[in-house]
Amino acid sequence: MSYYFTILSPTDVPLFNIAFGTSKSGGDGIARFRFPDTAQYMNQFIIHSSLDVVEEAQWMNGNMYLKHIDTYPPASAYISAFLTPSGARFLLLHQPPQLPSNSAGAGGSMSGSLLLGSGGGSSRASASSVAANPTSPQTEEAVRQFMTEVYENYVKTVMSPFYRQGMEIKSSVFRGRVTAAGRKWL
Amino acid sequence: MTSPGDAAPVKPPPSFSPGVPRVASKSRYPNQRRDSSPSLDADLVDSRIRSPTPPLTATTSDLPIRSASPRAPSFRSSTPQLARSSLGSPVEGRFDGAEEIRSLVIRSFSPVVGVYASADTDELVRQKGFAGGFWELIRPFGENVTGKIVIRDSVGASRGWEDYGVRFVDLAGNSLTPNDSSAGRSAPLAQVEDVLEKQLGSTDDPLGGSLRPKDFLNFPSTSPLYKVFLRQLLSISSATPHETFRHPVASVIAISSRNTAPLETLRQLYADTSNGARRLPDWCHSEYLRYYVLVHDEDRDDIAESTKLFDQMKRHFGLHCHLLRLRSNQCVVTDDDSVQVPECEWLSPTERLYGRAEPLVDLDANGFYLFDSDIMAIKAFIRELVAQSVIPFMENRVAVWNDQVAARRRGISGRFMSMSRRWAGFGSSSRSSLMAGGASGNYDVAHGYYKPDVPEAVLRKMADFAFMLRDWKLSASTYELLRSDYANDKAWKYHAGAYEMCAVSMLLNPSAMGTKMKLDGIDQMFDTACYSYLTRCSDAPNALRCLTLAMELLKSRGGSAVESAARWAMRAMDLGLVGSISQGLFSERVSACYAARAPVSGMKWGSRHRKAGMWSVFAADIWLRLGKPSLASAALEEAERLYADVLDADGRFPMPEMQTFIDNLRHAVKVEYLEARGLDTRDDSVTAEALGTEETSEKLDGRMNRKSLIANPLDSGGLGPAQGTRDNDNAANDDFERA
Repeated sequence: MSYYFTILSPTDVPLFNIAFGTSKSGGDGIARFRFPDTAQYMNQFIIHSSLDVVEEAQWMNGNMYLKHIDTYPPASAYISAFLTPSGARFLLLHQPPQLPSNSAGAGGSMSGSLLLGSGGGSSRASASSVAANPTSPQTEEAVRQFMTEVYENYVKTVMSPFYRQGMEIKSSVFRGRVTAAGRKWL
Repeated sequence: MTSPGDAAPVKPPPSFSPGVPRVASKSRYPNQRRDSSPSLDADLVDSRIRSPTPPLTATTSDLPIRSASPRAPSFRSSTPQLARSSLGSPVEGRFDGAEEIRSLVIRSFSPVVGVYASADTDELVRQKGFAGGFWELIRPFGENVTGKIVIRDSVGASRGWEDYGVRFVDLAGNSLTPNDSSAGRSAPLAQVEDVLEKQLGSTDDPLGGSLRPKDFLNFPSTSPLYKVFLRQLLSISSATPHETFRHPVASVIAISSRNTAPLETLRQLYADTSNGARRLPDWCHSEYLRYYVLVHDEDRDDIAESTKLFDQMKRHFGLHCHLLRLRSNQCVVTDDDSVQVPECEWLSPTERLYGRAEPLVDLDANGFYLFDSDIMAIKAFIRELVAQSVIPFMENRVAVWNDQVAARRRGISGRFMSMSRRWAGFGSSSRSSLMAGGASGNYDVAHGYYKPDVPEAVLRKMADFAFMLRDWKLSASTYELLRSDYANDKAWKYHAGAYEMCAVSMLLNPSAMGTKMKLDGIDQMFDTACYSYLTRCSDAPNALRCLTLAMELLKSRGGSAVESAARWAMRAMDLGLVGSISQGLFSERVSACYAARAPVSGMKWGSRHRKAGMWSVFAADIWLRLGKPSLASAALEEAERLYADVLDADGRFPMPEMQTFIDNLRHAVKVEYLEARGLDTRDDSVTAEALGTEETSEKLDGRMNRKSLIANPLDSGGLGPAQGTRDNDNAANDDFERA
């Protein structure tokens, strides 16, 4: 499972980006998306396009955590969203690893599947874990925990006297905490 | 009505000749677009890309028959109420796109009428210049029956259809034999791709831009190329056992006045079709309507003789006869009352590829002409054939089968019967239920078809008849009845077909404008059909047809159904059913699906413009990789229009990597476009190259884009402003970029 986490300002400007992989079930915490390395813009396109759905869902739902809101089927990318009172949006794109049977067909991802090595096998072994099934209740719950933890840290960071609203978040402490939250929950 | 005058000014405007560098220096081509918008009507009438055919539209509109223009009704909405009003105001004009596709889908399932002419008739017609004989002569006119056809549905309600048509097939030829599956499963799809390739190749001249009549009040109409694709895809299928759309409903048996032994010949022809060489395959129902035509040669023969013969025919064969008076001389362009024969709309991909050599390129050179009187006679003949014989025959069959076969199955006892049969306890057919799974035993496993007289086949035929008569309520319920039977018999192709057509009829049925729950069921049905086609039968063309129909019909539903529509299109791309060109078309289609989602009234949210924009960008990327920069630029332009709502005033994407990608794409499209045109715009390409080297300095490039996008919120901001203000915007925009 690979994750791409973004905080967007109310005007859709990205304040913070991080890509990471799962650390559960033997994952090494490195993101391996299905797109080739030259196509990393795809993550941003997918995130950006899911804002349509976020805008709609935020009025339909009283919660801050909107759960899984959107899917991009061609790359089986799933988007979960979290709203903050200030209008900033947390968006998490998660993409399950390509199954070994699939990656045999896709010649382009040869290097990726080589790197995966035992990772592919172990993720299949733990089919019930967060990584394998992006729409399961367990995953929703794990993402919610992750979002809540990030939200706490985000509030602390934003309250820093040196932070102006709409500025990019460059704090390395915050980045470290997000990484830790990702390692803990996802 | 589309006045014929609209068709004339389509042609390349003086400002858009290849030598003018001013146009070439843009990556957005406002001139082309502006010039193509007046051609919208013409393109709708004649959706073939290359043939503007001013002579056709001009001449047919002179015919005294009401709505005689052979294609004019075709683009009108299928509902009569809309048809009357849809062309009146530009606001309603935007429905044309959806309705047009819907009508295309509906017309693709037209009844098939076989044609079998005697040798002397074919000889007569060959004199007129039609090498294919009588069939080729009448074929184009069958695709659109003039005037309104009134059809009674199963509950007795009548409804008129303006766009009804029948498909003529040549019984003598091989158009009925199924194309051999051994020739490669996806061969038809490859052919479709070839047709698209050909179409693109011939239009990818500097005028390529005019092949997209879009931005009609900001509602992009369907690109003609996509319509070509859809039409080809829907006309792939030949007669197969599992569906009866391509089985002949009736057959025209024609002799001419030259025949010396007319009644003998007619008898001979009939014998040929019923048990001779022209017999239908075993899986076709052999009882179909015979219609006898006497072709009278106006130039050589005596009408009194023919009338006498015709009276005799009427006495012998009853009502299903017609006396068709044709002149046997060949008509040439220079004749006074020469009228061009319309193109066939529904040519199968094979015919497109290998048929008449380049029929579309140069219509004036090898188009066919007929005398005005001949055309009128043929049209009257076909109208009489369809309105007085074919339709009543089909209505009658549906009523009879509904009474005799379907009613028995629908009632409570019918359910019980089929259940008992299934569990092999008792009932009439318990003998045959030795097979496992409670199969009815009617399915011929070895040959893979039902005999045409068992209830399963008759019901399917009845449902197809009802479908072709546009009684979708009846057809949906009948298909629903059949689904489980086919599943029990493991007749997977039948099974897939029943699921597919059940969902399609439900979507076409205007009274069942669905609730959310219904839509779920429909998705489920398409899913099953697609799975059966693809996995169990590995029938790629039908699977693609199923997915495409799903997408188009769900899209025309609007509302939340468009998301399903987009999903089906993505599924089709995912499954690898589409070739490279169709990939681009499907990406554009996904974009159109999302763009069709309207925002919640009065709010800014609820639309899917970001998604639509994203898919347009992907489409541009695909077109560029295929080396079609003009298409890419149009897609990119579309993307800009869609993104205009969601981006800030400065038109920058908030995400840096997206911005870089779009900048690169835009630049590549521009460069390729210039190269493709190979103009003498040396200095312009130099400046383009200069832009290329500065691509790395994002700031400078960004300023350029900002300018180009600034105008977009202006011109797409209000949906209201008329075309004129739009054009002004474009003109202003022009100067912006030049500055």
